[in-house]
Amino acid sequence: MYHFKSLIASTLTAALLSSTTPAFADFWSDAAKGLEGTTIRGISESTPPSNYAKDVLGPAFTKATGIKVEFEATSWDQMYDKAIKDMEANTGIYDFVYIEQDIIYSYLARNFLVDVTQALNENPNLKSPTFDPTKFTSFIDNFKNDKGDLFGVPMEAFIKVYLYRKDLFDDPKIKEAYKAKYGADLAPAKDHKEYRQIAQFFTEWGKANGQEIFGTTVQAASGHPAAVYEVVESIFPTYGVYNWGIDTKAYGASVANGGRMNSPEAKAALTWWIGNLAYAPPESTSSTWDEVAATFAAGRAAQGLVYGENAAWIATDDKKSNVVGKVGVALPPVEPGIIEQATSGAGYIGYYDGGAFGIPHSSKNKKAALLWLQYIGQDSVQTDWALAGSRITHKATYEDPKVQAQDKKVDGYYTLMREKGPLFRGAPPFPFHNQVREAIAPFIYQAITGELKPDEALDKAAAAADAELKNLGYRK
Amino acid sequence: MRANSVGWLLLTPTLPILFVFGVIPFLYVLVIGFMNWNSFAANPDMQFAWAENFRRLVFDDQFLYSLWLTLKFAFFAVLSEIVLGYFLAQLFMKDFPGKGFFRTIHTLPLVIAPIAVGATWRLLTVPGLGPLPYYLNRWLGYEFNISRYIDQAFFTTVVMDVWHWTPLVTLTLLAALSSLPKEPFEQAQIDGANRFQIFWHITLPLLKPAILATVFIRMMDALRTVDEVWMLTGGGPGAATRYIGLHIWRVVFPKTDYGYGSAMSLITLYLTIVMCWMLYAGLVARRDLKRAE
Amino acid sequence: MMRRFRKRASASLGSILFWTLSSLITLLPIYWMFAVSAKSRVQLFGSPSFVISSFFTENYTSTLADSAFQRYMFNSVVVATANALLVTTLALLATYALSRYKLPGKENLFFWTITNRMAPPAVFLLPLFLLYTQVFVVADVKLFDTKIGLILLYCVFNLPFAIWTLRGVIDGIPKELDEAAFVDGANTWQVLTKVILPLAKPGLAVTGILTWVFAWNEYLFAATLTSVHARTITTGLAEFVTVTGTNWGRMAATAMLTLVPALLVLGLAQRHIVAGLTFGAVKE
Repeated sequence: MYHFKSLIASTLTAALLSSTTPAFADFWSDAAKGLEGTTIRGISESTPPSNYAKDVLGPAFTKATGIKVEFEATSWDQMYDKAIKDMEANTGIYDFVYIEQDIIYSYLARNFLVDVTQALNENPNLKSPTFDPTKFTSFIDNFKNDKGDLFGVPMEAFIKVYLYRKDLFDDPKIKEAYKAKYGADLAPAKDHKEYRQIAQFFTEWGKANGQEIFGTTVQAASGHPAAVYEVVESIFPTYGVYNWGIDTKAYGASVANGGRMNSPEAKAALTWWIGNLAYAPPESTSSTWDEVAATFAAGRAAQGLVYGENAAWIATDDKKSNVVGKVGVALPPVEPGIIEQATSGAGYIGYYDGGAFGIPHSSKNKKAALLWLQYIGQDSVQTDWALAGSRITHKATYEDPKVQAQDKKVDGYYTLMREKGPLFRGAPPFPFHNQVREAIAPFIYQAITGELKPDEALDKAAAAADAELKNLGYRK
Repeated sequence: MRANSVGWLLLTPTLPILFVFGVIPFLYVLVIGFMNWNSFAANPDMQFAWAENFRRLVFDDQFLYSLWLTLKFAFFAVLSEIVLGYFLAQLFMKDFPGKGFFRTIHTLPLVIAPIAVGATWRLLTVPGLGPLPYYLNRWLGYEFNISRYIDQAFFTTVVMDVWHWTPLVTLTLLAALSSLPKEPFEQAQIDGANRFQIFWHITLPLLKPAILATVFIRMMDALRTVDEVWMLTGGGPGAATRYIGLHIWRVVFPKTDYGYGSAMSLITLYLTIVMCWMLYAGLVARRDLKRAE
Repeated sequence: MMRRFRKRASASLGSILFWTLSSLITLLPIYWMFAVSAKSRVQLFGSPSFVISSFFTENYTSTLADSAFQRYMFNSVVVATANALLVTTLALLATYALSRYKLPGKENLFFWTITNRMAPPAVFLLPLFLLYTQVFVVADVKLFDTKIGLILLYCVFNLPFAIWTLRGVIDGIPKELDEAAFVDGANTWQVLTKVILPLAKPGLAVTGILTWVFAWNEYLFAATLTSVHARTITTGLAEFVTVTGTNWGRMAATAMLTLVPALLVLGLAQRHIVAGLTFGAVKE
C-alpha cells in the first residue's frame, strides 16, 4: 500500500517535472546550488491541499533542488500556537508557516514574516522565471502590505457558498406542495425570508413524509469558534454589518462606541441565524465547518451555507457523500441592497477564505524556503493541486480543461468563485482576531443554547469586545 | 548507621529533575503572572503590572464560574469513581470464573488516551451519528443532545470521566485490599462483627492511606482535565463544561494572554495545593507523625 | 452438601451475569470506536447502527501503511517505556529515602513532590517551550522534538505519582527486615535490591504500568514540544481534526491500533497484579 502511494507520488513528480519547460528545467538546480541537503520544515494542518503539497510537491521540489521538505501536521488550534511561539521566541524551528487569511494582520503587526518581494529583489539569482505574482487571483492581495510587497504565497482559497439539493428543488411533487403552501415557486433562496421559508417547508415535509431531512444546516457548534465565525463572517455581512461590526478606526464594537456589533441589523442577523436552528438537524449545535458539510453530504439537509472546499467532494465523491450529482451551488441569501453594496465595493456578502505559506524571520534557511514558495506558486503545478484540494489560487487554473470538467460536476462552483469572487472578502485587517473572537464567543454560545436572547447576547458580546480592545490597548 | 547523606543521595536523581522541569517553569509563570503581556496587544512587550492580573481575576465572572464548575465536576467524578472503584475492587477480591478476563476488560478504558476517549464519546453522543441520542429517543422518547442541553453536557463529562478513570481506582484499591493483613478480619469475625462494622471499623481505617492517595491523584487530575473535554464538547454548550484547565488553555493559546493566563494558573494551582494540603494534613499527616515518633 | 453446591453455583452464575453486564457497559464506547473504524463515511453518516454490515478495511490498511503512523507509534512506545522504567527506578530510591531516613522536612518534601502534578498544564507550555528551544541547546542539538525531552518532562507528573503510590508499599515493608540485613553487613544498595525490591515488586509493577499509561496518553506537552521526529501517537490522533473535516474513520482505526501495545503492557502487568494478591501473605 505504501509503495503504491509513493509510486503515485513519483509518477506525479515525473509528470510535474516534464511539464516545466526545458529552458527553465535547470533553474531550480542552479538556484539551489550550495543549498542541497538542506532541510526546510513547515507547519500546517493535514488538509487535502496541505497533504498534496506534502506528498507530491515536496518530493518533486526535492528532486529538482536537492532541498528536503518536512511537514509538521497539526490540528487547527495547535498550528497557530506553535508557529506564534516559534516566531515570538525567534527560535527558527519553522522555515515556512501556514498563514490563514485572517491571521496575516497579526503577523504583519508583529513583523514576523519575511518580505518575499524584497527578498527576491535582493537575491535575483533565486528569482524563478516561472513564479509571477500577477498570475494569481486577487486573493493574493490579502497577503500584501500597503506598499504591495508580498508576505505569503497563497496555497488555497475558497468561498463559503449556498448549497441546495437540486433533486429536491426540481422534484415536481415537492414544487407543487411548496407552491400550494406559500403561493410561490420553489427556487434557491435569494434573501433571508425565502431561506427561512424553505427551511421550514423541508423540515415539515421531512416530518410528514417520515424522511430524515431538514430545511437547513447551521454551523452552530456550541463550544467551538466555528460558530462565531459563521455569525460574524457569513451572516453579519449579508445584513450589511461588516468587519464583525467593529469600527475600523476607533476600534469600537458597541453602538455606543461607534461600532455595529449590537446594532439592530446585527441583532436581526443573529436572531435569524438562531431561528434557523429550529429547522436544522439536531447535530447542528455540535457542527463545526466540516460537520456542516458532513450533514449535507449525508443528505440530511435541503440547503445550507457550506465552505467551498467541501463542495467538490460533496458533489462528486460517492465514497463520502450520499448526494453525488444532486448538489446545486449559488450565492448566499442576502438582505435587499447588499449585493449592490458588495458590487460597488462598499460591502461584501461573505468570507473569502484561504491561506498562504510565508517565511518567518526566525527561519535559518530563508533562501531554501524562498525557492520552495516560488515552486508551489508556479502555474504548472496548480491544476492537479486544484483537483486534489478543490482550491484555486491562479487565474489560469480556471481555464484548464480538467478543472472545467470538474466545475460542471459541482454545478459551477469554480465559475461562481471566478465570477462572483469579488463579492466576497477576506477578514477585516485587524491584528486581534483571535483575541476578540475569544472575548465574544461565550455569548454567541449562550445564544445558541438559549441561555441568552440574541439581543442580550450581542449587547454583552459588544461590551466584551470593547473591554478586550481597551485591555489590548487598541481602544483609547 | 544510616546516615542522612545516603538518604539525600537516594533523592538526588529525583530532585533535580523535578526542579528543572517543574520548579523553573513555575518560577517563570510566577514572574509572568505579574506582567501585562499579550503577543498581539497594541504593545506586545512585557510590562510589569504589579498585581493587576490578580485584581482582575477577582471580578472575572467567567473565571470564577469556571472554577466553581471545575470543583463541581471534580467532586461528582471523583466521588463516583471512589465508590464504584471500591465496589469493583471488593468484588475482584472474590474468586469467580473468568476473573482475569473480566479484570482486563475493566482495565481497558484506562489505556485509551484521553484525546481518543473524548473523540469516542463525541462519536457516541453526536446526534445523527451517535447511537446514544438515537436509541434514547427511539426507546424512551428522550431528547439527548449534549451540544444543546447544559445539564446533559455536564453529566456526560462526569460519566465519561468515571468511565475512563474508575479502572485506576479499582486497580490501586485492589492492590491495597490484597495487601491488607488477615488477622484483624479474622478476629472481628470471631468477635461477631457484622459486615458493616467490619467495613467501617477495620477495612476503611486500614485502607485510608490508599483511598486518600487515590483521591489525591484523581482529584488533582480531574481539576486539570483538558484533552477529553476539549474533544467532547470544547467547553460548551455555552460555558457548561468549560473547566478551568480548558478555560486557561483558551486564554493562553488562542487569546495569547500570557500574563492573565499565568495569574489564573497560579491561583488555580494555589487553590489546588491548599485543598490537597488540608486533606493531607487533616487525615494522613497526623497519623504519619505519630508513627514517626 | 447439595444445597451448598447449588448456592455456590447460583452465586457464580450471578457473578458471571453481573460481570458480563458490567463488561458490556465498559466495552460499549470501545465497541463504538471499533464500529466507526470499520464503517465507510457514507455508512457512518447513514443511520446510527451498532451493526457493521460490511467491514470497511481501508481505514486500517491506510493507517498501517502510513509511515507517519509507524513513526509516531514507535516514538510513543519508546517514550512511555523509557519514562516508566526511569520513573519507577527513581521513585523507588526516593521513596525508600523518604520512608526510612529521618530527613529534616521530609514530609513537606513528600507533599511538595505531588504539587508538581497539580499545575494546569497549558500555561507551563510557554516556559517549557523556551527551555526546550533556547536553554537546553548544545551546538545545533535542542531538547525540542527529541524523545529524551519528553521522557524527562513526563517525570514531572509521573515521579510524584510513583512516589505517592510507592510510599504505602515501602512503608508497608517491615523495617525489621532491612535492619536485619544491615546487621548482616549489607549496604544500602544490597538492602534495596535484595530485600526491598523483591517485596515491593507487585507494587512496583502496578506503579510502572500506571506511569506507562500516563506517559502513553499524554497529549498537550507532546503536541507543543515535538515537531516531526519525536511526535507521539496521541498528537497523531489530533491531526485528524482539521478545518476541512475530521477523519473519524481513520482516527478511530488509529485509536484501536493504539490499544494493541497498551494491551500487551497490560497483559504483562496482569501477572504481577495477580502476584500482588499474595503480597499480604508474604508480610505476615
